Amino acid sequence: MEQRLNRFQDVLVGTSGYSYVEWIDAGFYPPATPQKAMLALYQESFRVTELNYTWYQMPRATAIERMCARVAQEFRFAVKLTRTMTHEVVDDRWRGEVKRYRQGLDPLVRSGKLLAVLIQFPFSFNRSIRHRQYLAALLEALAGLPLAVEFRHDSWACDSVFAELEKRKITLVSVDMPPLAHLFPCLAVVTNPGLVYLRFHGRNIRGWGSGSMQHQFDYDYTDEELGERLERVITPMAAKAEQSALFFNNHVRGQAPKNARTLMAMFPEQGPVKKA
Amino acid sequence: MERSIIHLNVADFAVAVEQTRNPGLRGAPVIIAPPGTPRAVVYDMSEEAFQDGVQKGMPLGRAFRLSPRATLLPPCPNLYERAMKALISKSLAYSPRIESGKRDGHLFIDATGTSRMFGPAVDVGWRLNKEMKTALGLDPVWSVATSKLVAKVATRLAKPFGEYIVGPGEEAAFLAPLPLEIIPGLGAEDLLRLREFNLSRVFELRSLDVSQLETAFGKRAGSIFDTIRGVDAAPVARAAEEGERLETDHEFPEDTNDGSRLKQGVHFVVASLCQKLRRKGVHCATLTLVLTYSDGIRRYARVRLKPATSSDFTLFRQCLPLLYKAWNRRIRIRHMRLVCDRTVPPDTQLDLFADDTGKRKEERLVNAMERIRERFGPSSVGPGLAL
Repeated sequence: MEQRLNRFQDVLVGTSGYSYVEWIDAGFYPPATPQKAMLALYQESFRVTELNYTWYQMPRATAIERMCARVAQEFRFAVKLTRTMTHEVVDDRWRGEVKRYRQGLDPLVRSGKLLAVLIQFPFSFNRSIRHRQYLAALLEALAGLPLAVEFRHDSWACDSVFAELEKRKITLVSVDMPPLAHLFPCLAVVTNPGLVYLRFHGRNIRGWGSGSMQHQFDYDYTDEELGERLERVITPMAAKAEQSALFFNNHVRGQAPKNARTLMAMFPEQGPVKKA
Repeated sequence: MERSIIHLNVADFAVAVEQTRNPGLRGAPVIIAPPGTPRAVVYDMSEEAFQDGVQKGMPLGRAFRLSPRATLLPPCPNLYERAMKALISKSLAYSPRIESGKRDGHLFIDATGTSRMFGPAVDVGWRLNKEMKTALGLDPVWSVATSKLVAKVATRLAKPFGEYIVGPGEEAAFLAPLPLEIIPGLGAEDLLRLREFNLSRVFELRSLDVSQLETAFGKRAGSIFDTIRGVDAAPVARAAEEGERLETDHEFPEDTNDGSRLKQGVHFVVASLCQKLRRKGVHCATLTLVLTYSDGIRRYARVRLKPATSSDFTLFRQCLPLLYKAWNRRIRIRHMRLVCDRTVPPDTQLDLFADDTGKRKEERLVNAMERIRERFGPSSVGPGLAL
């Protein structure tokens, strides 16, 4: 039986982070907006955001609780897993880190504002036996939280990986990145019918390996590129899931909120066909 | 505009630098102090020695009773200074506005307005930490906040490893539950007085208004009122704003308290500093003489020069009283450092009526000596007293 949504109301669109001073110059925030006021203004445009600072620093329950209190009840956060569990893993420490991370995230879980925990692995995290074992242990340690895994290395793009994620009801993050060798391709694979998660990193080929965020994520999607992604990836994936979340990570010069708004404006009146 | 201040703090800096030379010291108690002197005090110690109860400035004998397994290393100030310069050099790639301690592993970096070039300050903090780990083997604690005060407290909380990001608007809430001991600007006497009032946490002290704080702190009440609320407008002082700092060192071959050898040392450092000043085409406005005694204790004396000068003769005349001021202990002296804290451009306006025949004669002599040095090497000519 098929049910057609009348709007893309189950598709949340947002940006990776919201607290960028350069978005004032880009016109997304009014002139002289203090950073502490940005979340309130951001909410006027979007219903979801990714918390990127948690990649740098373990989330602290007190700060997260204050953040929860500043957003509307229906606002959602996707929270990046801290680097000590993805990029800078120390064998005998990471389990303790998971424990601290869970404690820090607790206010979000309790308030129901946690959309997903984003586990983003670096390019160097390829599908070796050691990494596979680590991934399995990590997912087990984080069990109970809504998880979304983003790979950068294309060795993970295989059916057995998708099947394992599906078995655990863990979302495989679909990524839009530059078409470079061995980067994870953009796939419309749904491993968790509860949540589809897409990230738009931009397609800056020259900036990708520069080591500078300002170059790596400096990209402005054209309407054609967004339209193509909407038709070929977003629509078929959203049709297979209860909820979808799309994030733009091309934050440089305010391109992320601009592209996000453009994409939202492209959503058709008639939503994707959803299988009930 | 809200500021983005990054604070880097290499915990136990001297020990951390020594550990980069000798990785075998990691995880072991280490005490840095001048060896072979009965009254030596602890210059720095590792976290392990600190856990045993050792503290900076503690007599060495007592330190070893508390931490008998500790490895003793002699202090190498020049090495620590080179490491400090390397930290600054790495940081300068991200911001021109950097404030640093001398050899203490502390750096404030003002990353305000740099996000378009380098990305968010938090990313810069992480990158700096990573670069310092890779290139220098040092692992600084780092924090990002909107002021130096909050950033400093944040690194104190994260020590000895890690990071702390205090978001804009979070300052007051961040400080509220903390013990007052951790707040910069509150000294031992202040804390004692506050304990008498049964106040030990920031949020407790916040219940007092400025007039109540005046009872305990007098004129400092206003600044303490702001401090405990995370309000701190102090800028990150840029080296260029302060005037460049120049210095020269002289280490005595043997520790000494012989007046003539000390005077000779003064001549040496003055001549060397003046050369640096003339090469840069600047004058010295503030002069500090630092004496390091054989037990590691330092004594300072400072003078403001009016007018600023780069003349060997004038600086020597000004520096000699500094020696007698700082030389106030009966311990022998190991090291002498002359620091020009502030340089200024030369004053080109001549005094119309002054009789400056002597001064001009000195100037000509100094210039002639400089030319000889340029041609025949730095030690080719000098005042007799420096020989």
